[in-house]
Order: sequence, then C-alpha cells, then structure tokens
Amino acid sequence: MSQRTVIPFGPQHPVLPEPIQLKLTLEDERVVEAIPHIGYVHRGIEKAAEKMDYTQNVFLVERICGICSFIHALCYCQGIEHLMATEVPDRARYLRVIWSELHRLQSHHLWLGLFADAFGFESLFMEFWRNRELLMDIFEKTAGSRVIISTCCIGGVRRDISAEHLDEILRVLDQVEARLNTTIPVMLKDAGVRARTVGVGYLSQDQAIKMGAAGPVLRGSGVAQDARMLGFAAYGELGIEPVVETAGDSYARCKVRCREAYQSIDLVRRAVRQLPEGDIVVRPKGRPMGQVICRVEQPRGELIYVLAANGSSKLERLRVRTPTFANVPPLVAMLPGCELADVPVITLSIDPCISCTER
Amino acid sequence: MIRNVLANVMHRPATRSAPATAVPIVPGYRGGVTFDHKECNFCGACATRCPANAIIVDRPGRHTEFDLFRCVQCGACAEACKRGCVQLATSYVPPVTAKPTIEYTERPVTEEQSER
Repeated sequence: MSQRTVIPFGPQHPVLPEPIQLKLTLEDERVVEAIPHIGYVHRGIEKAAEKMDYTQNVFLVERICGICSFIHALCYCQGIEHLMATEVPDRARYLRVIWSELHRLQSHHLWLGLFADAFGFESLFMEFWRNRELLMDIFEKTAGSRVIISTCCIGGVRRDISAEHLDEILRVLDQVEARLNTTIPVMLKDAGVRARTVGVGYLSQDQAIKMGAAGPVLRGSGVAQDARMLGFAAYGELGIEPVVETAGDSYARCKVRCREAYQSIDLVRRAVRQLPEGDIVVRPKGRPMGQVICRVEQPRGELIYVLAANGSSKLERLRVRTPTFANVPPLVAMLPGCELADVPVITLSIDPCISCTER
Repeated sequence: MIRNVLANVMHRPATRSAPATAVPIVPGYRGGVTFDHKECNFCGACATRCPANAIIVDRPGRHTEFDLFRCVQCGACAEACKRGCVQLATSYVPPVTAKPTIEYTERPVTEEQSER
C-alpha cells in the first residue's frame, strides 16, 4: 500500500535562484502531482509603470530581473519607439545587440553554474561563475555598472562603446571561449551529470507546443523557434539560426544553452566587426499614442510586452509576459513520474526566473 | 584534469586581497550622486527625471535634497542637469551609520553682504 505525502519544495531551496513553491504529492519516492504557488517576489511593477512617467519606466522595467535586465529595457524601448514612430540609428541597434548578447552569455554562465550546483558539482559551479566575472567586468567598463546596465534609452542607447573597449570585448571573448572549451565538455560528458539529466524531465514536442513553452525548453523539445528570428534590433542583418535539440529531456535543454553560449559569442564578434558609424540616439518628439505588442528573446525565452498609451506622459497599461511564466505549466507537466531527487534538477532545467514571472 | 590541477596550483591568486589592495576605479562607473551647489538654480529637472523619487527640489524655498539610499545610480539626473551640478561619483555609497542625504539650502544674501 503506497503512502501519499505532500512535501513543499520551496519557497526557499538551495537550487532556486528566486522563491517559488511547488507542493509535491509523492507516492513513496515518486512525484504524482505538483502544484505551484507563486507570489513571493511580486512587486507590483505593472502598476508602478502606470504611475511613473513613460521615460522613467525604462529604469523600472530593467529592474524586473537582474539577469536579463537589458533585454527588458530593450523590449520596452522598442515598444515606445514604435508608438512614437521613431527610427533608431544603425549604430544604436548594433550596440543593443552587443549588450543583449553579452547579457545572454552571462545569463547562460550563471545558469550553467547553478545547474552544476544542483548536482553538488561545486567546483564546476565556481568555474562557470569565475568565467562570468570576465563579462561583468566588461559591463562595468562599457556601461558603468555590472548588473543593471541602464544603457538602453528611448531612441537609442545612452553610451557609446569606444574602439579600445570594442577591442577589449573581442579579447575577453577569446578568453571566455577558451574557458568554455574546457568547462562545457565537463558539463556535457561527465557520467554523473549524464546520469542525472539524460531522460529526466521529458517534455514531448507536442506538449511543448500545446502548453506554450518558451526558449530553451521549447527548442530542447525540437521546435525551431527563436524570437530573434523576427529581426528586431540588428538581428535581421546578422541572421540567426535557432539552436535545436530533439531529446526533450533536461540534458537536451542544457545542451541548447551550451550551444547558445557559443552562438552569442559569434554574434557579438560579428556585431563588433560590422558596427556602423553614426549617432547613438535620436530624440523622439511628442508622446506615445496607441497600442503595441512587441516580442524579444530573453535568455529564458520569448518576452512579450503589451503597451497601451493614450497620449499623456503616463502609460495606460503595461503588460509583461515573461518566458518563465509560460514555462511553469510545462514544468508542472514534466514533474509527475520523476523521483523526489530529480525535482531540483528538472526545476532548474527550465531556468526559472521567478522575479520575471511575478514582476 | 591533471594539467588543469597543476595550472591552478601554479597560478597567482585569482582574488584581490581587499581591503589591503584598493578596488580599481573604472572610469565611467556609475556611483553615488555628487552635488555641486554653486551652480544650482533650483530648476527641478533632476527631480522630475528621477525614477526613484530620490531628489526633492523646493524652488521657492531654495532647497535641494538628495536621498543617497533611494538613489539607484541611473544617471538620469546627471543627464538632465543643464549646469552640470549633479554628477555620479566613481564609487558606490559605502555602508554608513546615519542615513546619507545631501541637503543644501541657499542662504539669502543680506544687504551688508551685497554691498561688500
């Protein structure tokens, strides 16, 4: 006679970067059901955005999440620029791509470190985070701050990257690539890592599409979809091929992020080489009016912003749909059938960013 | 693996021995707000642009106040100020024992002082 117990996973748990609670119903050691409870980091950002000026909102939305902060600001600025019919200068578009891809790179380093830590592989965790420090130093030198870089503004970017800094970015990327070449094979080939991730947390392609999964969760299940294919900022000129794996398990999602890290390095190198001269910002005239939906690709998946403005200095409505919000139902579908010890690995494999989810 | 271990053993320490060695100053770093009151004309542009409501400018009272802990070091005030009074320092606001605010009230010039 198997016994059912209810175990709360979270809200505080060593593997979780942010708090979420999963009430797990277990039969002996197997998970039968998982019910998520969210709301531990809700800060009312959408409401705050209605109270502040639309220019001040850039600083508000980039603080929704510290790991993907520039890309939040990018999506918001693109939405406002669309509502004010502003064309961003070419140099600004390429600079936005450079900072976005560096953000993606540091986010994947962060995640790879956390994923290694989830198995107790602490030395690999430290290696990935030490390599991430190289990227944080680049942000400090080019943007003035390590985490919330505040360089995107409505109409372009606030700072230019000088030629010496561009050379330094390329040099540091060589170092980052060399270190990835030694650490990623450890992550992907280690027998312990493979034993804990291969076949664990399976999400079929059908389920991924039906449940609206986003990002590496979607691409790890074989769906070739990446919001950067829309061609916003300078992605249209640089061209992007989505990184796809077909296995649908945690190992596949890990492999997608590893390959995306290399893809980001390549994108930054091409953007730096093709960086055009010119202005970095154009001052838009008037006030935003109308409604727009804009989508960008965060490290965790597709981010959707809906902005509604009525011509005043404050927005009428800002709606943010973050990728982890879309990935929680697939997570709840992946968990039944696994053992309790697999729950941290599966939860971390969707790359949960709960501050984004709860805004 | 052995090569990695030997390389790490021979390598110099990866960490900086702070506070013995000073933290390198990076030009362009967005630190706490500094205020040069000599040029201020109390226009209030910095207060309007501040996303954190960290600045209070009282035009009739000739009073400016910066709450350094509310400040998020975004630099919007520095960009807004047309006279260059507000700048961002090259280091963050350190831990303090009293709430850090920069307050300035312009004293009215008396008749004796203006004659001199």
